[in-house]
Amino acid sequence: MIAATMLLFKSHRRPGVRGWELKHRLGKNYMRVIDALNSRLKQLGLEIKTVFEEGEENNFDRARFYVVLSHPLTMSDLVAAGWRIDEVAALSITLSILSSRGGKAPLRDVLEVLETKFPKWKAETYLERAIRRGYIERLEDDVLTIGWRTKVEVEQKALLKAVLEAHEEKEIRSD
Amino acid sequence: MKKVEVTREELERIIKLCENIEKRGLDPFTVNIRELLEKLRRIIEKNPSLDHYVIDAETLYRISALIALQHKWLREKAKALFIDAQMISTRLTAMDKKTLAKAFLKAWHPIISLEQMTPQRLRQGLEHFLSLPPRSGSREFGWKITDKEMELIKARLELEEKAMMEKIKALHLELLKKFEEKGEALNYWEFIKGENFDETFERAYLLSFLITEGYVDVKRNPLKNEVKLIPHKEQVKRKSPTSLVISLRGEVH
Repeated sequence: MIAATMLLFKSHRRPGVRGWELKHRLGKNYMRVIDALNSRLKQLGLEIKTVFEEGEENNFDRARFYVVLSHPLTMSDLVAAGWRIDEVAALSITLSILSSRGGKAPLRDVLEVLETKFPKWKAETYLERAIRRGYIERLEDDVLTIGWRTKVEVEQKALLKAVLEAHEEKEIRSD
Repeated sequence: MKKVEVTREELERIIKLCENIEKRGLDPFTVNIRELLEKLRRIIEKNPSLDHYVIDAETLYRISALIALQHKWLREKAKALFIDAQMISTRLTAMDKKTLAKAFLKAWHPIISLEQMTPQRLRQGLEHFLSLPPRSGSREFGWKITDKEMELIKARLELEEKAMMEKIKALHLELLKKFEEKGEALNYWEFIKGENFDETFERAYLLSFLITEGYVDVKRNPLKNEVKLIPHKEQVKRKSPTSLVISLRGEVH
């Protein structure tokens, strides 16, 4: 109950809870509680995702724990959740470019691809929104990098694979 | 001298190049590390001065950082199944928006989180609000009041003010009448005493306005613990006003 409340209710500016916070409330065997909760959440189509700090891959105390959807959404779910297909497509393009370049790319390069699909003002608006939501970060010198939310929510390898496969599917259909 | 400057510029150019690749996330394999190191060796051998050693060390550090970046780049590439960035860009350009959104959905697992007010949060909010310092002038609240609501509020305030003024006037007349009848200063506690505590409190409250405005003088005798009231028909201007605190105790009904 405590673990579920901590993980589901947002208590900081960002969602998710740090391992040490869980340890403080649940005791030193908090990972057992998390595992038990995870198996219950999986029955509901949810799961607990652990994101480690860079360079501290096995430090659960410093890691952040989130509850995420375990199954992918459908297009109708997406529309029902209030997302615009245009916006998701822009996010897909941006994250694919960043993932394929090791997580970093100049803003100019991303905008160049986005502008093949959207007018400049729209592309910039979508990028700003993605920055605000934490999907991407803007560094100095107009360089974009992967944001904290992408690290939690998006399987970057799966995204690149999906981009390639989607294209191939289209080619096969046209043949 | 000119030669020294040229080599220094060359080293600074190498540093800048390494920095740019690191900052902008460019492909670190576009630079020939071996060539850079050979160039650096030549420069060190030709200029064995302390000034040069410092900038040489900085250049060497930047080149080492670039090698580390190459290592990271390779690892990232391996993780991303060696998918070429150029190929991805080309494919993204060719895909339509719906297919792009579908591809994203396959890899997307959004966070589930709720924002809800809890008793603890409410308590924190109240504590925060109470700890805020008062603002000079009027406080601007977040909600909007319509013109009609504003008129109603004004009318209500005017009515309340009018009723209050009438009560103060009546109390002033009562005080003057009692003063004329008695011919001496009136006892504060006897005058404010009402049928119950509510009334006593109200009389004391209204009387405080008359005292502040200069319609009533207060004489206090600390030895006898007496507070006397001397009313005036007209407002009297005071030369050196002071404040007096009188506390009332009782239960409000």
